[in-house]
Amino acid sequence: MKCEMCHKAEAETAIRKGVEADAQELYVCQACARKAARRDAAAGTQAPVPQSGSDGMPPAPLMGMILDAAFEIVGRAISLSEPSCPVCGILRDEYRKRSRLGCPACYAAFAKELDTAVFELHRATQHVGKTPEKAKAAWQRQQLENALNDAVQGQRYEEAIALRDQLKKLAEQEGRQGEAV
Amino acid sequence: MMLSLDPGVHSKKTRAGIPADDIAMRCRVRLARNLADERFPDWATEHDRERVFGKVREALHAEAPGFRVESVAAFEEQDRDVLFESHLISKDLLERAAGGGVAYAPDSSICVMINEEDHLRIQGFSAGLDMLGAWQAADALDTRLERHLDYAWTPKLGYLTACPSNVGTGLRASGMLHLLGLRLVGEIESVVRGLERMRLLVRGIGGEGSEAAGQIYQISNMDSLGSDEAAIVRRVTRICAEVVQQEYNARARLIQESPMVLLDCLARSLSVLQNARLLATVEALEFLSAMRLGASLRLFTRLKVADVDKLILLMQPGHLQKGMGTALTSDERDERRSEFLRRKMASVRLKC
Repeated sequence: MKCEMCHKAEAETAIRKGVEADAQELYVCQACARKAARRDAAAGTQAPVPQSGSDGMPPAPLMGMILDAAFEIVGRAISLSEPSCPVCGILRDEYRKRSRLGCPACYAAFAKELDTAVFELHRATQHVGKTPEKAKAAWQRQQLENALNDAVQGQRYEEAIALRDQLKKLAEQEGRQGEAV
Repeated sequence: MMLSLDPGVHSKKTRAGIPADDIAMRCRVRLARNLADERFPDWATEHDRERVFGKVREALHAEAPGFRVESVAAFEEQDRDVLFESHLISKDLLERAAGGGVAYAPDSSICVMINEEDHLRIQGFSAGLDMLGAWQAADALDTRLERHLDYAWTPKLGYLTACPSNVGTGLRASGMLHLLGLRLVGEIESVVRGLERMRLLVRGIGGEGSEAAGQIYQISNMDSLGSDEAAIVRRVTRICAEVVQQEYNARARLIQESPMVLLDCLARSLSVLQNARLLATVEALEFLSAMRLGASLRLFTRLKVADVDKLILLMQPGHLQKGMGTALTSDERDERRSEFLRRKMASVRLKC
């Protein structure tokens, strides 16, 4: 397919022209994509980012392509310079370059992109298989603690009492299991 | 010329009744695990990695007291190469500075890499296609270690890993297959393409990014999320067994339809190994691969498949230098390797 801007070179990448509802997707060559990016940057609008090859780098391997695709979809709504995992502090852009997350909390910090990437990689979104009891209990405890904080801040005291009781029960169960081990 | 050999005649059966023979060389199942409150190794500081190593070492001492647990840096360079060539540790771990560690059972049937891409990579090894056995061994150790370690896990994504390609079960089951017959009949590319269409990873002998030197391939699952461990292991085992069958068929066709192609390949390889004065590792592996096929078909005197497998290991840089008891330059190694192989091949003859 020919570039929809210069109509000469082969189209290699997609850019968005215009804003929001009027936005139009164009398939263009790398040179036109760069020109459009410069023009948009000068005009102060968000620049379309050609995903590979535009900076002389070799084309991204499969992993990078999948992550790029996920970022392209979600990245339109979220600025790429936005930090970061609140626990390890890595930036979205850093993770994207190295295809490696910084810490387990990154899965929550970059959940939107990763949902797409995980599906592309595995053709599945839900774990099936081994459940480590200790880790499962820790996860449940964290969920209850978060809900308890929310309830207290929202002054929903009856709900908070119920959550506190559930936490106590969980701690008792863990205590019993700990003794059994 | 007709050879009257049945390529399956020497095959053994695994416990599961799958024809594994010597086409399936060995298999491995690895489980990727990470600690909940620690950075993944690639982003961790040396101090972080040392702390993780300490926690894992403690857990191993409690649950696997017979294991040798060492920091990678504690090994001499040659010994590190020996571990890599024996498939116990990866290239990434080999190059990891502080905090990289390895733990292995006395019989090397289980090995834990510490601070490789993930905090723990628990690997079970088995002969032929006994992936179920390899998985059960790795899984049992994993369950014991979890008593002491807080794993990163969520109900939705399962075990959380440094790369999203390993989330879920964190399990990769791989079979190492010798597929020279398929190469010689010109079908290897279509087999590899077929496997990739079934969402299996096909790699060379050295793991990620390596060429399939000597036509030794590792076939493993691409997806680690969405199926349980037993289902993944069964699927990879079944597909590897099908590839083994295809290799048998290719060998049968070679013998019946193009015996001269086969004999020429074997004779040339034997001549080079008996006469060469310089042999690089990859080059030697290509010729030994042919010798392995010939040994499997019992076309050589005084050469068994197990002998060739041993040579494939012993001629690699780390093992070679260890055997010579001295560090060698690349050129010196090529010379010593050719000497070593000339000596080992001196009395081998082609039967036809």
